[in-house]
Amino acid sequence: MADAVIVVSLLLVAVTATAAVANRDPARQALVLSVLGLVLAVLFTVLQAPDVGLSQLAVGSALTPLLIMLSVRRVKRRGQPKDGGR
Amino acid sequence: MNDWNLAATLLLAVGAGAAVWGVSTGPLRRRVVAQNLSTSAVCPSLLLLAQGYDRPSYVDLALLLALLGPVGTLVFARLLSDELTDDPPRARGLTWAAAGLGAVTVVVLCAAVGPSRAMVKLLVIGALLIGGNVVASRALSGGFRGVRGG
Amino acid sequence: MDRRTALVATGELLAWWTGLALLWLVLISTVDPLECAVGAGVAAVGALAARAARRAVTWR
Repeated sequence: MADAVIVVSLLLVAVTATAAVANRDPARQALVLSVLGLVLAVLFTVLQAPDVGLSQLAVGSALTPLLIMLSVRRVKRRGQPKDGGR
Repeated sequence: MNDWNLAATLLLAVGAGAAVWGVSTGPLRRRVVAQNLSTSAVCPSLLLLAQGYDRPSYVDLALLLALLGPVGTLVFARLLSDELTDDPPRARGLTWAAAGLGAVTVVVLCAAVGPSRAMVKLLVIGALLIGGNVVASRALSGGFRGVRGG
Repeated sequence: MDRRTALVATGELLAWWTGLALLWLVLISTVDPLECAVGAGVAAVGALAARAARRAVTWR
């Protein structure tokens, strides 16, 4: 019973990671990835590693989505003038 | 397992579960709303976990999340604005429900902690969480059209 | 800069410093003299930065 919170967060991580892989559009993948960062931070916290969770929060909640979305925007902008945006 | 951890587990299973389901299915406008509300579901459960484990330093995680979660949502609101102007997400009820959840959690934890510096810290986190949630939600539904396009 | 603007600037810096120092006092784990000294210094730097940022935002 004491491990219920660990089981719940492990399940959440598994489901979110699967959803991140199953999505095809990079923008939607970035949305799922930011939630995955949150859920991973909770998992690290319930496994009594809050320092790892802290850095995971800092990287996963704002930095990873920003990098992915900037790259997606750059790629789209570069593809547009040539042949209608691949 | 004490009551705080039980409450945190239930909040994670219901709130974060709903956020994961919402963010991985459906149209884009529902996904951004779910991403925004995942912060308001996870942050109170982190606060409850800190109280349940009796480790006041775990509260820092909730503080960082309350600060950075709305920043992540603002990133999406800015960089997905072309797709979101066509059908802007409307989630007024959900936003205020999430704000109420955060407020209730913070008030209950304040009552458990008692008047001290820790209580002021909890109040700061609660204000950051609710304010950030409302601002990010308003940015998603196009409330800041004037500042866009910079 | 005449006398009045100097007074207003000092007041604004003092307000920022008070708020930031109080925030520091709330967020640290143990209150001891070293922490207070470091907090006062960091709050002073933060007050200067906050006033500069506020002016940059309102002057556009």
